[in-house]
Amino acid sequence: MSANPSSSGGGSSSGGGGGGPCGACKFLRRKCVPGCIFAPYFDSEQGAAHFAAVHKVFGASNVSKLLLHIPVHKRLDAVVTICYEAQARLRDPVYGCVAHIFALQQQVVNLQTELSYLQAHLATLELPSPPPPPPPPPTLMTPPPLSISDLPSATSVPAAYDLSSLFEPIVQPSWAMQQRQMDPRQFGGSTCSSSTGSGDLQALARELLHRQESPQHGSAPCLDPSSPSISK
Amino acid sequence: MNSRCAACKYLRRRCPSDCIFSPYFPPNDPQRFACIHRIYGASNVARMLQQLPENQRASAVDCLYYEAQCRVQDPVYGCAGIISLLYQQIHNAETEIAKTQAQIALLIDSNTQEQQVYLHQNIEVESDLNILLQEQGDEFSLLGPPNQASSGFI
Repeated sequence: MSANPSSSGGGSSSGGGGGGPCGACKFLRRKCVPGCIFAPYFDSEQGAAHFAAVHKVFGASNVSKLLLHIPVHKRLDAVVTICYEAQARLRDPVYGCVAHIFALQQQVVNLQTELSYLQAHLATLELPSPPPPPPPPPTLMTPPPLSISDLPSATSVPAAYDLSSLFEPIVQPSWAMQQRQMDPRQFGGSTCSSSTGSGDLQALARELLHRQESPQHGSAPCLDPSSPSISK
Repeated sequence: MNSRCAACKYLRRRCPSDCIFSPYFPPNDPQRFACIHRIYGASNVARMLQQLPENQRASAVDCLYYEAQCRVQDPVYGCAGIISLLYQQIHNAETEIAKTQAQIALLIDSNTQEQQVYLHQNIEVESDLNILLQEQGDEFSLLGPPNQASSGFI
């Protein structure tokens, strides 16, 4: 993906700036017109593969409508996240990226339980009188299984997003397996081992962001430090 | 007479008896299909459901609905915004845990030092007492048993 301005120079009929059709139009086998909405985000080399996933899950017209309603300077982030969701859905046709969300939410619950235990323990140590024995550690307690209604909604999300979190190793156990095994050690923070193939999602997000050259694109305040070409 | 499912109502078509949408889009919740259709489109959803075993389709529709809602509410980041939020919560919780563990370690350490000082003082006092008692005992042995007259007792 390259952030080529849709210049009208060059003799080719592409819309991406003279280098042939963009990846989306290549996949769709159609003429890439100047001003093609996909051209800045799907180059003719690997963009076609990425667009294939997006098209399979969302459909070209749905994505086009979505991007048209987004300001230009936010479209790169939108494309990255759409590609991420599409890849996740193809990898896990039942749960998609929600499996990742479930895993993270479970990790949050486990950490908050551990924090509550430690704070209670600290409170007993701070008391002047001989402290009672601390409550048993929470590691043996099995939290109740999560449901979709327990997940946060987009309305509770603050305005600043960190797309570099998509680079984190993805733990995507099947939801059925997750409901059977609520072992908190499974979700050991960012050091979780990634499932097979999750590196593709990370590589995708990294590649899409690396190809960003324009300082106007992308408003994520914290981006991957390995992509110095991206500005805040 | 069966009414149409929410999907067929939305699509303004007849709802066949083997409609792939009907088990997952009851007519009393039109918003569910409308939201999913807005993001994925009917044909994409139908194809995705057809490729899944029946016992997994309900979960798939629930997840698609969740993702579609996230995307409708946040067209730029969708579910990625939720993921970012959760990573932030994890980071905050881990930071708080580390801080609390450090405070506990500090308190335990200072309590241990206080106990050691207290025990040391107690040992010194006991040692002094023993010396005192020993000295008194030596005096008694030199002076002999106490005399009632000399002691002033009646």
